[in-house]
Amino acid sequence: MLKQVRIIAGKELMDSWRDRRGLLSAALYSLMGPVVVWLVSLALRKGGNAGKTEVLIAMMSVFTLVSAFVGGMNVAMDSVAGERERRSLLPLLMHPVSRRNVLLGKWLAVAVFSTAGLTVNVLGFGLLLGRWPPAALALCLVPLSPMAAALEIWVSTVCRGIKEAHTYLSMLVFLPMGVGMSMVFSPLAVRPWWNLLPVAGQQLQLEAGLGRGEWGLLRILVLALATAVLTALALIAAADRLEQDNVVYGG
Amino acid sequence: MIEVRNLRKQFGAVAVLRDVSFRASDGEITGLLGANGAGKSTTLRTICGVLKPGGGEARIDGGVGGLLDHAGLYSRLTPREIFTFSGQLHGIPRPRLRERVEEVLDFLGMRPLADRRTGGFSQGERMKTALGRAVIHSPKNLLLDEPTNGLDVPSVRALRLLLRRMRDMGTCILFSSHVLDEVRALCDRVVVLSGGRVAGEGTPADLCRQAGVRTLEDAFVALTGTAEVSSC
Repeated sequence: MLKQVRIIAGKELMDSWRDRRGLLSAALYSLMGPVVVWLVSLALRKGGNAGKTEVLIAMMSVFTLVSAFVGGMNVAMDSVAGERERRSLLPLLMHPVSRRNVLLGKWLAVAVFSTAGLTVNVLGFGLLLGRWPPAALALCLVPLSPMAAALEIWVSTVCRGIKEAHTYLSMLVFLPMGVGMSMVFSPLAVRPWWNLLPVAGQQLQLEAGLGRGEWGLLRILVLALATAVLTALALIAAADRLEQDNVVYGG
Repeated sequence: MIEVRNLRKQFGAVAVLRDVSFRASDGEITGLLGANGAGKSTTLRTICGVLKPGGGEARIDGGVGGLLDHAGLYSRLTPREIFTFSGQLHGIPRPRLRERVEEVLDFLGMRPLADRRTGGFSQGERMKTALGRAVIHSPKNLLLDEPTNGLDVPSVRALRLLLRRMRDMGTCILFSSHVLDEVRALCDRVVVLSGGRVAGEGTPADLCRQAGVRTLEDAFVALTGTAEVSSC
C-alpha cells in the first residue's frame, strides 16, 4: 500500500515541480505577506507608531496561515480536478491501485507543496522582520499544511474541472483569512476554546508565540490532534467522492 | 479471454446496460459495435473494473490494459516517464521495467519521442503513448474505446497495424466503435449492442446471415432497429 502511495506522490511531485509558473505564483503568494507587513511596519515606524506591534503580529499570523493553503492550491487543482478535466483519471484508476491509495498519494504531494509555502512564508517574515516563531510552534503549524492539503483535495474531488476548482479553492483560502481578520478586528469575541479550533487555534498560538514568545505544550498538542481529526475527515469525504461512478467521467 | 455474463448497470433512473453477455477470445479482435449511447463505453469500463456492475459479472483471464476515454496523458511527462509510472503501479520490478519500457518504445516506433514531453504531441503520438501505457504490463487482454476518434489516416493505419500485430501475438482485443468501416477492417468477430442489450453476435458474415441482408451496414440497421447509421 505504502509503495503505491509513494509512487503516486512521486509522480505528482515531479509533475508539479515542472509546472514552474504554478510554483512561481505559489512562492510569490507566500512571500506577499512578509513584503506587505514589512512595508506596513516601515510606514508605521515613519509615522511614529512603533507601538502597533500587535497589529503587525496579527497580520503576520493571518498571512502565515494563508500561505499553508496557497502553497498546495495549484497542485491540488491540477492533480485532482485537472486529472478529471484532461481525462487522465480513468487510465490511472485502471491500474491495480485502490482509489484510497491514489488519494493518499495526491494528498501527500499537495501537503509537501503546502508545507513549502508555509516554510517560505515563515522564512520571509524571519528575514524581513526579524521575527521567528518559537520552535515548539512547529508542532501546531506543521499539521496545518496536511489539513489544508486534505481540504483542498476534497474540494477538488467535487469539481469537474480546473476553472471550477480554482473558484472554490480561492474561496477556501478566505477561510484562514476571514477567521484571522475577524480575530484581529474583534479580539474580544475570541473565547478560550478557540485555542483548540484548527486555523483559529493556530492564529492564536502564532500571535502569542511571535508577540510574547509564549506557548503551551498541552494546548499545542490538543490543537495538533484537532487539526489531524479535521484532516482525516476531509480525506474520508474525498475518498467517498472518488468512489462514486461519475468521477471517472471527464468534462 | 473475456467473458461477460448478464451485465447490468444503472445510472440513477437510466438503465445503460440491461443484459449484456458475450465472449471475446484470445488471438482475436472483437468489435463492440453500437450507436451512440448503446452502452459500449459503460461495458468496457465495467469490464476493466472502473465501474462497479449493477448485476452480472465480467471474467477476465489474465491481465487487462485499456485505452479508454481519449488518451488522458500527463503533458509535463515524457512517454518514458509515463510508461515507467504505469509499470511501477503494475508492480513490475525495476530492472525488468527498464527493459520493458524500451521494448514498448521499440514496438510502437516511439524511440525519437521517448524523452519529449507529451504536451506538444500530435493526436497520433498521444494515441501511441496511451497505447504504450496500456500494454506496459504485457496484458493478455486489451480494451479500446473508439481509439481512432480524431486520428488522421496515417495514424489510423498505424494503429490498425499495431492491433493486428498484438492479435497475432495472442492478445484478446475488445474494440468499441460506431464506425462500420473500422469494424469491418479490423474485427474478427462483432458484438452488436443496442439499448443496453446484445442485439447480435458473430463474424461480419454471420451477422449478415442472421439479419438476412448483404452488407454489415444493413445488418446493423436490421439488428438494432435504427436507420440513422450510414457508412461512407
